[in-house]
Amino acid sequence: MISIDNVSKHYGSFQVLTDCTTQVKKGEVIVVCGPSGSGKSTLIKCVNGLEPFQSGNIIVDGISVGDPKTNLSKLRSRVGMVFQHFELFPHMSITDNLSIAQEKVLGRNRDEARAKGLKLLERVGLKAHADKFPGQLSGGQQQRVAIARALCMDPICMLFDEPTSALDPEMINEVLDVMVELAQEGMTMMCVTHEMGFARKVANRVIFMDKGQIVEDDSKDAFFGAPRSERARQFLAKILQH
Amino acid sequence: MYDFDWSSIPGALPFLWDGMKISLEITVSAVIFGVVWGTLLAMMRLAPVKPLAWFAAGYVNLFRSIPLVMVLLWFFLIVPQLLRSFFNLDPNTDVRLTSAMIGFALFESAYYSEIIRAGIQSVPKGQVAAASALGMTYAQAMRLVVLPQAFRNMVPLLLTQAIVLFQDTSLVYMSALADFFGAAYKVGDRDGRLVELLLFAGAVYFFICFAASQLVRRYQKKLNAHVAH
Repeated sequence: MISIDNVSKHYGSFQVLTDCTTQVKKGEVIVVCGPSGSGKSTLIKCVNGLEPFQSGNIIVDGISVGDPKTNLSKLRSRVGMVFQHFELFPHMSITDNLSIAQEKVLGRNRDEARAKGLKLLERVGLKAHADKFPGQLSGGQQQRVAIARALCMDPICMLFDEPTSALDPEMINEVLDVMVELAQEGMTMMCVTHEMGFARKVANRVIFMDKGQIVEDDSKDAFFGAPRSERARQFLAKILQH
Repeated sequence: MYDFDWSSIPGALPFLWDGMKISLEITVSAVIFGVVWGTLLAMMRLAPVKPLAWFAAGYVNLFRSIPLVMVLLWFFLIVPQLLRSFFNLDPNTDVRLTSAMIGFALFESAYYSEIIRAGIQSVPKGQVAAASALGMTYAQAMRLVVLPQAFRNMVPLLLTQAIVLFQDTSLVYMSALADFFGAAYKVGDRDGRLVELLLFAGAVYFFICFAASQLVRRYQKKLNAHVAH
């Protein structure tokens, strides 16, 4: 489904990603973790072309992301993405947030788009909030709407860029619950997150990044059992201490 | 002590009102054109295509570095001739109003484009990323997501600029075009009551602009309350 092959990226002389290679198969859930500044968010943004990269290849569902001839907008409409800061459109009601891209990008008619939006809103448990504006919802609720908005496009896979990092602790679980459910239904997911409980529960593989490189790319059990690199061991010791 | 005599004003009101209509016409047309062209300039200036950005930057810097009076004067000298030769107009057709409108519109666009550019930049980058991630093109992201938010934040500044513009329209008096100020001047000159007429005109400008700026302030407060929500 997603194949990342020797991807490197630099801003000027600063190397952000170095020779990153990995694959995500259909139905797999991959968790990407690592210290801040390790390039994990950049890597996931390269997958749908939000960040350009200088060398290497990324193929999503047979389409090359780095190819200048690729219609990136079309590809992005099939790849769902959820951001750290939700990025709901604050000037639109929840319903409009859910239907705007369905109408303007996929060309669905208004009723169809609304019905789909409401269905997915119900699925994330927020049907009662359809007519509100994003500013009236809590962070956790906004992030669940953001997930529903991405699902409205019937994506072939979902990218999560630290979806719970900006949330108050008591709101993290409501978002993770939605993600776990999604994973169990067989959605292909690539998640940048520090939620190791989530990784343990649903991840097939864990990727550990440091200084722009993929240091570990292992099955969940191997990663949590005995990470091969010293750096990953230190990282786990730090975040699993409490 | 100067002996005030306001008696020439009542009779001149219809003429003054005609002048006010010209002032408002120039203001409204310059605001509309300025916002549209200013938005395009702002988007060019932020575009990744270098020549477009250079053109927009050059345009804005040029118009912001020369006095409005000179721009208007050039337009009064050049544009009437251009219009006449383009459209084969009768040399006696009065195109002063058109050239004033064009001059103001082009000049104000430079200021509007700077306000709009700041407005666009005030919308978080993540909004464009989110719109793109949903498959929107750059143009769709701008039109549906960025500009509506930018304009909502900018409305007070745009209106304030419109108030300044309304005052500046009085500069057209030098082309002998009878805008509100020009009309007041003419009446005063005719009746030998310049002081009274200019005081009256000043009071009218003050009343309109002060009332408008109070409305803008009220709107701004409402907006802030809404954002804080």
